[in-house]
Amino acid sequence: MWLTEVTADSAYAALDACPRGEACGLGAAYAYSTAMGWISTVMYYSFWAVAAWAGGALIGRELESGTARLAWSQGVSPARWLTAKLALPAVALVLGGAVFVPVHRWARSAHRDLMGDHLLFNDVFTDHGPLVVAYGLCALAVGTLTGLLLGRPLPALAISVAATTLLNRTPEHLRPDPLPRSDFWPAHLTETGLVLAITALATTAAFSLLHHRTA
Amino acid sequence: MSSTSATPAVALEASGLGKRYGRRPAALDGCSFRLPTSRISALVGPNGAGKSTLLAIAAGLLRPTSGTLTVLGEAPGAARDRISYLAQNKPLYPQLTIAETLRMGAELNPARWDAACAARIVEQGDLDPKSRIRGLSGGQRTRVALALALGKRPELMLLDEPMADLDPLARHELMGTLMADAAEHGTTVLMSSHIVAELADACDHLLLLGGGRVRLGGGIDDLLAAHTLVTGRGTPADLAPHTVIESRTAGRGLTALIRRDGPVGEGWAAEEPSLEELLLAHLRAPEAPALLTPGTTATAEAVTA
Repeated sequence: MWLTEVTADSAYAALDACPRGEACGLGAAYAYSTAMGWISTVMYYSFWAVAAWAGGALIGRELESGTARLAWSQGVSPARWLTAKLALPAVALVLGGAVFVPVHRWARSAHRDLMGDHLLFNDVFTDHGPLVVAYGLCALAVGTLTGLLLGRPLPALAISVAATTLLNRTPEHLRPDPLPRSDFWPAHLTETGLVLAITALATTAAFSLLHHRTA
Repeated sequence: MSSTSATPAVALEASGLGKRYGRRPAALDGCSFRLPTSRISALVGPNGAGKSTLLAIAAGLLRPTSGTLTVLGEAPGAARDRISYLAQNKPLYPQLTIAETLRMGAELNPARWDAACAARIVEQGDLDPKSRIRGLSGGQRTRVALALALGKRPELMLLDEPMADLDPLARHELMGTLMADAAEHGTTVLMSSHIVAELADACDHLLLLGGGRVRLGGGIDDLLAAHTLVTGRGTPADLAPHTVIESRTAGRGLTALIRRDGPVGEGWAAEEPSLEELLLAHLRAPEAPALLTPGTTATAEAVTA
């Protein structure tokens, strides 16, 4: 928001100060565009952090230290324990996305003339709608499943990040290259649906794995 | 479950219980036994005999590969709120204080929690309720874990090496607290341990695991009475028809632990073995036939090994 309201104004001021036809002031515009781009990119790849955290801290560490068993022997069934573990981060991801996506779109559209990005950039494509939330939820589910499978935080962290990267790179390559603007939403929503389906699969697998291991 | 009106109530009943981890030899293999309620049972056996596995299955933390286990008349997972389980490494949340840990116990077991009992155990150890679990010694953690286990007012306690990292004084005192509490409330206790002296004082029942099944099971008095330590001149063959569990030559004589079949013959000095002698003889002789007293034999099948 600071970038949109303040930095953008100073970039315009720098551009306005230039005599017509000369290429000065572009540095300020470039700085603005780069900063906005970084926000997009960091948000886009935040699913890595979610995957690492879910596999390592949320599940792997609890299984390794035995505190999961402590909870299960305190009258909390393993299924209830896993539901409780997943509910809060899932809600946080959805709410976070519900705030970020509109703000990001508003900021991106506010000063189109200063921005050097494109709707088909991987991060912009994803951050533009619910897909960014879907990737976050998918990372949570995949991290949880790996954490349960491996039962140790460090390997779970590594495998979760690798698996989500693979899950993200595959559709990235399948995204159409010259996409007419009218086709953006069908492509974005199809990928969202696909990622959510993988999320559902991983979540189901996590619960049934836990069910088969414990009574 | 079948009617138990004629027999004492059953805390645990295993039938053909098996657990295999990957390709390793089975931790439990056709394990069958029955543990009546209100007994304090010692679960012993060599390392890797399946003691921890059995306790974890009973606590509903691990699903067996084969067979069934009934806990307080229910499937293990269904009896979760009526049992306490203490894992060998005494896991607790390191970032919580002792008071917060006990509050967690109260919140997760609202119907049964006995705050006074849990607080008393912590106070006996001169622990400050405001100190974090992270900063406690192994013995202090054991004390907090036991407070959590007893505060739940369980009908069945499953304790995996409960006293291993306590100093002798704390061990004696905590064991006393545990036993007094169990006696007062009629709690059934199944605890694994390597410390035979601790078991002889506290327990009235024994389950000896070996090769994935129960090799010796029953009231300690009954088991001791069924065996005799004999000394005399002769060979193990002379001791027929008794079952010789273990024998060794001492000078020109022979000392043997036998499972009696009728009176001991003349020429042999006979005495009742101590619990330690009984356990050591069976641990040294893994091929000895299994013996389960009638009260400890599973109903589903007669256990003969």
